[in-house]
Amino acid sequence: MPSLLKKDKPKQTGAEKATAGAKWLDDRLGLAKGGRVFFNKIFPDHWSFMLGEIALYSFVVLLVTGVFLTLYYVPSADMLTYHGSYAPLKGTQVSAAYNSTLAISFDVRFGLLVRQMHHWAADIFLGAIAVHMCRVFFTGAFRRPRELNWIVGVTLLILGISNGFLGYSLPDDLISGTGLRIMFSVVESIPVVGTHLAFWLFGGNYPGNGVIIPRMFMLHVLLVPAIMVALVGAHLALLVKQKHTQFSGPGKTEKNVVGTPMWPGFMFKTQGYFFLVVAVLAGLGGWAQINPIWQYGQYFPYKVSYAVQPDWYMGWLDGALRIMPSWEFQNFGYMIPNMFFPAVLLPGIAFNIFIVWPFIEAKVRKDYKEHHLLERPRDNPWRTSIGAGALAFFFMLFAASSTDVLANYFNISLNLVLWFFRFATYIIPFFVAGITYKICLELQALGRYGGRRKRFNVVLRTAEGEYFSEKTPARPGDLDVLSGEEEEPLELTEEVSEKIRESSELIGVSSTELNKLPPPADQGVKRVERD
Amino acid sequence: MDWLIFLSIPFKLKYLRKLLPFVVIATVIMIAMTTFRSGAQISKSGTSMENLVSVSSTTSSTSSTTTSSTSTTEAKPTSVNTGPLLYEDSGTPATNSQVEQGKIYFDQSCSSCHGIGAEGSSRAPNLVGLGPATIDFWVTTGRMPLANTIVQPERKPPRYDPSQSLDIVAYVTSLGPGGPLIPNVSGVSNASIAEGASLFALNCAGCHTITGAGDELASGAYAPSLHQATPTQVAEAIRTGPANMPRFSPGIMTNAQVNDIVKYVTQSIQHPDNAGGFGLGGVGPVAEGFVGLLIGVGILMLFALWIGDRS
Repeated sequence: MPSLLKKDKPKQTGAEKATAGAKWLDDRLGLAKGGRVFFNKIFPDHWSFMLGEIALYSFVVLLVTGVFLTLYYVPSADMLTYHGSYAPLKGTQVSAAYNSTLAISFDVRFGLLVRQMHHWAADIFLGAIAVHMCRVFFTGAFRRPRELNWIVGVTLLILGISNGFLGYSLPDDLISGTGLRIMFSVVESIPVVGTHLAFWLFGGNYPGNGVIIPRMFMLHVLLVPAIMVALVGAHLALLVKQKHTQFSGPGKTEKNVVGTPMWPGFMFKTQGYFFLVVAVLAGLGGWAQINPIWQYGQYFPYKVSYAVQPDWYMGWLDGALRIMPSWEFQNFGYMIPNMFFPAVLLPGIAFNIFIVWPFIEAKVRKDYKEHHLLERPRDNPWRTSIGAGALAFFFMLFAASSTDVLANYFNISLNLVLWFFRFATYIIPFFVAGITYKICLELQALGRYGGRRKRFNVVLRTAEGEYFSEKTPARPGDLDVLSGEEEEPLELTEEVSEKIRESSELIGVSSTELNKLPPPADQGVKRVERD
Repeated sequence: MDWLIFLSIPFKLKYLRKLLPFVVIATVIMIAMTTFRSGAQISKSGTSMENLVSVSSTTSSTSSTTTSSTSTTEAKPTSVNTGPLLYEDSGTPATNSQVEQGKIYFDQSCSSCHGIGAEGSSRAPNLVGLGPATIDFWVTTGRMPLANTIVQPERKPPRYDPSQSLDIVAYVTSLGPGGPLIPNVSGVSNASIAEGASLFALNCAGCHTITGAGDELASGAYAPSLHQATPTQVAEAIRTGPANMPRFSPGIMTNAQVNDIVKYVTQSIQHPDNAGGFGLGGVGPVAEGFVGLLIGVGILMLFALWIGDRS
């Protein structure tokens, strides 16, 4: 009697069914424990913690649009006659790679939008990494115990730049071909092994026998993205394991993290942010033209366009190449080619310094302690000024990659612009660093929290004409820095205590154990002074 | 409220107000810099000077025409086709009245540097024998008469309209034979854009860039933008090689090939297919990088500010 059997079973609601399904999975996979860690993860509320997410979500967009493009792209240098819908090139000889990119742009539905979104996403992915890296650097978030995550992040940056260059070169248009020609010479310039390496990569002397396009394609869509996905996973896993850093504030200590839990709260915030990132990328992809390869034409090694620049994240390397004087060094019968210094040595040194920076800083500052509270940039003028100087250096190199555009726009001699950059690139960073140091000291004097003022000095003149200055009488709210007056300890308001009770986690304690502990606010929270 | 953590600059309204004068000054300087180029193009004082000169030269025009070698002293405004040949593939020479009128314009605007008989001086080259195409190019693109002596004359609105320019061409050509004639671009309609694109990438893009935006070369010399050139001017430039540009004679490039390039420049380059949206000036990754960083990352950072906590 099937009808009777049905009646015996109590009717389940949707929620009960979902619970039952989740329980089924948990019994077999043990998801509850991981899920608990995930849903209880605390995210600090400060806006600057969202910058890394721009990179994360641009990366998601890159993967999705990249899969779409892979369906239509043909990684081949075989020549064929163009018969697509872009009239000015009809009947000309083009490579299969260029042909398929033109087809994506003109003949595949949504092809141009997706292609442009992919390219914009790459530009913004690396831009977001740069901004995120600045946040991490200038607030000291890379300090012990987070050195490993810093290294993973820098590796992601290097891989991102490399994959960006590979993707830029795939369409086989006039501009990207010129970039590839430069890259061949860069590889060739490495002493001793350069020629072998370049010939091995390109399958012979430039332009090789057509193997470079399938090879770049394999690297661009398979090898590099696979490593990057794994490293992004590691980056986030380390973040959950080590927990977030936070800016100091009332009730925020070296031992806790105050913020919004993943559920309920942060998940909606981050979802919304994901949609915003996609919206901006789609908006740019739809309205702002990027890399119109049909205007550039097929690449042939004997054709070249003047004023070729790489994408922005390679710009600093291009700038370094441009301002390099034509020096060549002969030693022991071997020549170190001119290109080696700006194109191999400079990025090599730069990235190595990036990678080991947490250790350099710990060593120089003799600071081997664990840090979970962030420093405001002004509170560490040493690091902030070095960072600002380095940023100025890279910005000058970046600007040097558009010497011709600057000269043309402002109607100045190109030679003058070039010589300006040859000196300014090394001089300006020192000025920037010095000024930053001074600004940091001034801002420190303003007080750590709002509402406190530096006391004014007034200049007085006596009847005899003698000048001297003295401090104005202290008023409530003034911060007398010079006398070393102690700041009064911060009062925890009821609102803040509530926030800490409701939504924080302890450093070094897993989320699952949290419920067994008394709320952090009852553990006698006090402000931790930093050195 | 210090949310600009990278620079540690407190963002408060009163600070912004203090910055305002600097922003205004910077804006004025930037506008001045962008108009600097156009300022160099049209010299206002120069035009008033030329008017004065024109009054004096018209009064003495009858006496000065006698120096013209091929024209008669009778300044009859009838079209007597005994002047020099100006156009390719055209058997009709210039008229005498064109030559005479051209002499007036030449004396007004050109002779102070190039000399009364176009024989040149320490300041300007000899023009005799350069041919109609060269003279026509320099005058119709507005490069001559020169506004001020700089490394390379700039394109500007022409002083003389096309028929007046042709008068000057007729006069200078009448002083001595030789040089390329003004090219005939009527064959452009049958030319091939694809062939033109290939020839352009091979011969022109090396300086003018592949989008024809033009760019700075060295020591103040530059390849000008091609976006305003007329078909005749493009062909003239190819045939005569003005300034630093190499000259492509009929032995190097056939008339059909010139027409292909002319068609490509005046159609694809001047009216590019910006299928992907705003063209961003056709200067490639420089503009794209600025848009990606300032607009893309910038807007997303503002969104982060909106979503996140600012204190």
